[in-house]
Amino acid sequence: MGAKSLYSVRNLEFSYGSGQPAALTIPRLEIGEGQCLAFAGPNGSGKTTLMMLFNDLLPGGGESAAFAGELWFRGEPVRRGMSCFHPRALRKSTAYMHQHPYVLAGSVAHNMSFVCRARGISGQAAIEASAKALKLVGLEDFAARRQKGLSGGEAQRLALARVIASGAEVLLLDEPTASADAASRDRIVAALAQLVENGTTIIFSSHEQDIIDRIARRVLVFERGAIIQDIGR
Amino acid sequence: MAQAFELLLRGDAETWGIIGRSLSFSFFATIFSLIPGIPLGVFMAWKASKGRRILASLIHAISALPTVVIGLFVYAFLSRSGPLGFLGFLYAPAGVILGQFFLAMPLVASVTYTGLAKLDPRFKETLETFGTPLLFKFSATLREAKMAVLSSVVLSFGRVIGEVGVSMMLGGNIRGLTRTMTTAIALDAAKGEFERAISLGLVLLLIAVAVNVTVNGLASHGR
Repeated sequence: MGAKSLYSVRNLEFSYGSGQPAALTIPRLEIGEGQCLAFAGPNGSGKTTLMMLFNDLLPGGGESAAFAGELWFRGEPVRRGMSCFHPRALRKSTAYMHQHPYVLAGSVAHNMSFVCRARGISGQAAIEASAKALKLVGLEDFAARRQKGLSGGEAQRLALARVIASGAEVLLLDEPTASADAASRDRIVAALAQLVENGTTIIFSSHEQDIIDRIARRVLVFERGAIIQDIGR
Repeated sequence: MAQAFELLLRGDAETWGIIGRSLSFSFFATIFSLIPGIPLGVFMAWKASKGRRILASLIHAISALPTVVIGLFVYAFLSRSGPLGFLGFLYAPAGVILGQFFLAMPLVASVTYTGLAKLDPRFKETLETFGTPLLFKFSATLREAKMAVLSSVVLSFGRVIGEVGVSMMLGGNIRGLTRTMTTAIALDAAKGEFERAISLGLVLLLIAVAVNVTVNGLASHGR
């Protein structure tokens, strides 16, 4: 593992349920700090699985999953075989955004304040972090809007604003433009470009080549649970 | 039937006393049952393990037990020779409330668990990804599933207000002290005095309708 390694993977094999075929097999992978990394490849090729493993969101073992190999975050073990370590540093430093994000019942402002409270950000800092994140994704006038009144693209922008406001240094974004219309897509891409410029580490998956070309410095191409190409390393 | 209505309309003190007592016993039993019932329901929904499934099955089974069985178990504890006999709860309002608490609590846990189990799995992952602290996770979960939680409260109240086994066994149907609507109906019907029994039956019917309308309203609001 390099000194500036963000994620290190060794002989990883993951399957959803013991006896199930492997959903992901990665002999070796290093991801550095400050990178903007894209996961490309068809549906079901393992992109979401790796992203969720990177955020420690998948089950540890038993009936629901089987894990072999090692996964490290900033030199701390996340998983070693069937042992899960749930490092606090990983939880504090990373945030994952679903392809179809879950928006909490209530207003946009409620969703933002939820994230700030969850992360221990309070008072003026929370107000500023929320306002800044909403402005970045173009939702600064949506604070009072209810969850049920949001379009797919607006929900995705809100979800992006939440992960930005969380203060995470590493954003794991699963197809961040999947539900977005052209306008929302442009706002999301512009926001991501700005975050990359500011040094935020972004790992995202996408089927849209133009977005990958515009933002990503490195591309991992997945197929059937394996990385078949590593471009721009 | 006309005399039954008259009893209610002219504000018969004993009839309204029984109604008030029933409502207060059931109110306190339901409120107390929420304290362990809701966290238990949330715990069962959060913990994905074989033990959780066994516990959930057990809670579901207990919530469907006949009221006299619950009454019998609680009676064994509260009777003079029982381990809690020194409390003097038997044939007292506290005994009825305690018995009704044990009726309501598994139902609160069971309905809360069932409602929470239907929550989108992405909700739990959203809580996880932001490292939400335990207490805040609990309150956010209740907020997100508030319709299921409110349903559990209303259903539990409906179960305890309409039960007769616990009230009879632990309260003893003592006039002016532990007589509730259901025990009064049983007594009056046995004596052949149907006016009060019918008037109380009408009140129970109204409560049952209100409970069902509320639960259906909550369910459709939650969709």
